[in-house]
Amino acid sequence: MATTSSRPAGTGLPTLADVWRREAPHVLGALLRRYGDLADCEDAVQDAAEAAAAQWSAGGLPDDPRAWLIRVASRRLIDRFRADSARSRREALDAARQGNDPAIAPAADEVPHPEVDDTLRLLFLCCHPVLSRPSQVALSLRAVAGLNVEQIAAAYLVPARTMTQRLSRARTALRQAGARFEMPSPPELPARVAAVLDVCHLVFTEGYARTSGETLLDASLAEEAIRLTRQVHAALPDHAEVSGALALMLLTHARSPARTDAAGDLVPLAEQDRSRWRRDMIDEGVALLETTLPRGHVGRYQLQAAIAAVHAEAGSYEHTDWLQISVLYDMLGRTAPGPTVTLNHAVAAAMAHSPAVGLAMLDPLRTDPAMRRHHRLYAVRAHLLELDGDPTGAADEYRLAARLTASLPEQRYLNRRLARLENPSR
Amino acid sequence: MKYLILIHSNPQPWGHPTGDYLAAHQELPEDLRKRLNADFEQVLTELQANGELISGEALGAPSAARLYRWQDGAPLATDGPYSEAKEHLAGFFLIDVESRSRAEEVAVKFSGPGETVELRPLMWPGGDDQ
Repeated sequence: MATTSSRPAGTGLPTLADVWRREAPHVLGALLRRYGDLADCEDAVQDAAEAAAAQWSAGGLPDDPRAWLIRVASRRLIDRFRADSARSRREALDAARQGNDPAIAPAADEVPHPEVDDTLRLLFLCCHPVLSRPSQVALSLRAVAGLNVEQIAAAYLVPARTMTQRLSRARTALRQAGARFEMPSPPELPARVAAVLDVCHLVFTEGYARTSGETLLDASLAEEAIRLTRQVHAALPDHAEVSGALALMLLTHARSPARTDAAGDLVPLAEQDRSRWRRDMIDEGVALLETTLPRGHVGRYQLQAAIAAVHAEAGSYEHTDWLQISVLYDMLGRTAPGPTVTLNHAVAAAMAHSPAVGLAMLDPLRTDPAMRRHHRLYAVRAHLLELDGDPTGAADEYRLAARLTASLPEQRYLNRRLARLENPSR
Repeated sequence: MKYLILIHSNPQPWGHPTGDYLAAHQELPEDLRKRLNADFEQVLTELQANGELISGEALGAPSAARLYRWQDGAPLATDGPYSEAKEHLAGFFLIDVESRSRAEEVAVKFSGPGETVELRPLMWPGGDDQ
């Protein structure tokens, strides 16, 4: 990274943003270790960020930006507590300060990697089970990824006011639940790690599904999710599902240069130009899987990543090893059953065996309350009926799927398929 | 997921909250009316506090509308109402919620006698390539 001295005067801000995003979780972690309350600590860290913006752009970066930020944020937090007339808060502060050295140092019982642990603990706090998924997502992007409210609001296409409400409700819920900045107990740990991975994956799918330019300054939601998952992976390098989730995101994100055409329309997997896939990401994802899969326990993220790896290794849609994909979906269906898995399994089985086999697998979903009005069931049925030589049946299903989807690019795609069936000369 | 909740109603005279101007609503037993109103207030407060409410507005009378229709190659302006239907669009709420079931749970709380509540998903500019 360039230093401030190498930049012309007055252009220090990009450097500040870089430093800020790198340091934010550590500064917040240092405060939380002493004072505990996320809402108070985030406010103080925000104050410190504003002070940094004012002072660093004029005077340049301090030697140790993290120590500077922690010092200023702690001072602001104490000022806020002093101004707070609520007696209980003062008592809590006094209790927190007793026996603590003012120079913020990790407690003696801490494991030797405070940096990675800060990030992980912060994610555990943000993904606390009392919060709804959208709140967990918003809080993680704010507190761990260091995005501001406007960036998160823009990413989710809601007004900043709505996002502010969501965040403050989440912080209040954490306070009321007595949630703490600490490692969960061993019996809780698997479920808490799973929640963190689900949140990272949700951020990723939200970002990946976007086709129009909803980018957060220079970073997309998908890249933020990969960055967060990398941090979890650094803290838990031997956790197979963490590796699996990271591999899945890398192998999926590798396709992004090929998944929209020049007009911004969605290009389905079958029609993507595979020479445009990101080879570096595929290699990294495959390497992660190769070290993880032989270890034994295979969870849903590893299986999904393995499926993505089979696609990545195929020269074309037709040359895909559909039998292997079908077997992997069968395993996934036993590990993490769900209608989406059945849908994808049906496509793979149709490609490996015959469209009729796939169609038969879809039948139970037609009465499933969660799938009956879901466009993907009808889009997949349409595709398989078309392969099976039933254009009339396929057209009906394309029409229904196009009506049910809330995705504009998917609707355009489904309407195009419908028009092609109804008027083959076009 | 974003949804628009549309309230179709025909208060006489036109006014808000629409329930105060609907005979069918007036005829309800007092305690039931109170409960319906309280339920509505509660869900609205909850939506706001959760960061699920994006916006909501009450609309003016349909007769106050100005309509523009294309005629002989040019727009022709007339005065409303837009349709002779029994009910008119009286107001809307734009929400952003976790799932369709949450949207349905919210929308049902907006319903009352003498009006129709419509829940419509918003289209979004993304999709998957599975």
